[in-house]
Amino acid sequence: MLATDNRRVAPRGTLRRLLRSPFNRDGPPISAMPQPEPPPTAFDASPLIVAVARGDRAAFARLFEHFAPRIKAMLMRTGLAPQRAEDLAQETMLTVWRKAHLYNPEGASAPAWIFTIARNRRIDVLRHDRLEAAPAGDALPDATDESPLPDVALASAEDAERLRLALARLSAEQLKVVTLSFFESRPHSEIADMLGIPLGTVKSRLRLAMGRLRDLLGEAP
Amino acid sequence: MTVHHHPTDETLAAHAAGALDIGRSLVVEAHLEACPRCRCWVGSLHAVGGLMLADIKPMALSPGALDRTLAALPAQVPVQSPPRPRAATAEAITLPRILEGRRIGEWKWLGPGIHRCDIEVPDADGARVFLLRAAPGTRMPHHTHTGSELTLVLSGAFAHEGGTYRAGDFDEADDDVEHQPVVRPGATCVCLVAMTGDLRLVGWLGRVLQPFVRI
Repeated sequence: MLATDNRRVAPRGTLRRLLRSPFNRDGPPISAMPQPEPPPTAFDASPLIVAVARGDRAAFARLFEHFAPRIKAMLMRTGLAPQRAEDLAQETMLTVWRKAHLYNPEGASAPAWIFTIARNRRIDVLRHDRLEAAPAGDALPDATDESPLPDVALASAEDAERLRLALARLSAEQLKVVTLSFFESRPHSEIADMLGIPLGTVKSRLRLAMGRLRDLLGEAP
Repeated sequence: MTVHHHPTDETLAAHAAGALDIGRSLVVEAHLEACPRCRCWVGSLHAVGGLMLADIKPMALSPGALDRTLAALPAQVPVQSPPRPRAATAEAITLPRILEGRRIGEWKWLGPGIHRCDIEVPDADGARVFLLRAAPGTRMPHHTHTGSELTLVLSGAFAHEGGTYRAGDFDEADDDVEHQPVVRPGATCVCLVAMTGDLRLVGWLGRVLQPFVRI
């Protein structure tokens, strides 16, 4: 009798989960939620980078066709003119060729790795411009890869998926400052100007977004 | 190595956003090598950029861009060079990997028990980076800063009002902070430091000594 009753009772917590909207602020950490399968068409760059490290030019061409137009788009979002963005996208891919042997496929997210290279190339080139302040010679100075490349600090592809879910649960305002700061690499003062909000608000909004991401990713504060 | 003192969230976020100068990012990166917790968190922040890159609407490149880039590829494949022996100082400190290939100067005497050696950073506007070596028990001059100072302990330990800092621990100070670090007895303390501005000694003795301080 008791056993029959028990079978009707849903596992503990099910109702709570059902009642909870995906955007519920007080939801469990992402790690505790059922994980959706990644879309089957997802471009798997990791094996291509490994092939590039062996000198596979066909693999490089596939990587280029996928990422160069995205890097160009990203650089244009940061405010670079189209031609400049295109030159720098090509530079970035050359750096990918040179650094492919440093890529650690065990767990490193390929788009994050490529993003970081593109971001660092942009920083190096802008820094070079600033230091030189000289008449522009070639479109691109022979900037070396000076910014430390954080190979040691990249999340795994799996972590990246958890992060995607976590980002989806930020408020629109928080996601905006996170995007402007971490994707477009804009200084806080510029973000304040763009959004027409005080600098202090940018900082506090970012701080809240960071705290929320940490909670959602289930990390210690 | 258990790390007890970490960079502030603001510093980690600025590092992940690429907003720190080379000198300060070097010191943060060196901390990440020693600290899985911060490494994981900064990794997540880097991944934000990766996700957005994967999702952005592509902008077509001009015709022939791929061919031009293929033509520019070096004929030789870069190979994984065998791991270089990590640079070691006279004190037999194993330096963080991120310092590999950086030009490191000679140890210079700064004051009783204190030596410093500069690490070359190609960023004139940014923080200066150096190793600071202090003998056991050294009492650093009471000081504050005109800029900011990031310190990573590589070996040994020091203590000040904020606590005790051991290998892997990270300390941040700016012009609000007035402190007098004391090196713990027993071992030489070596730190990696990124500093903007300079030190200001505090007190009458400090004012007398200031002209002689070369840091």
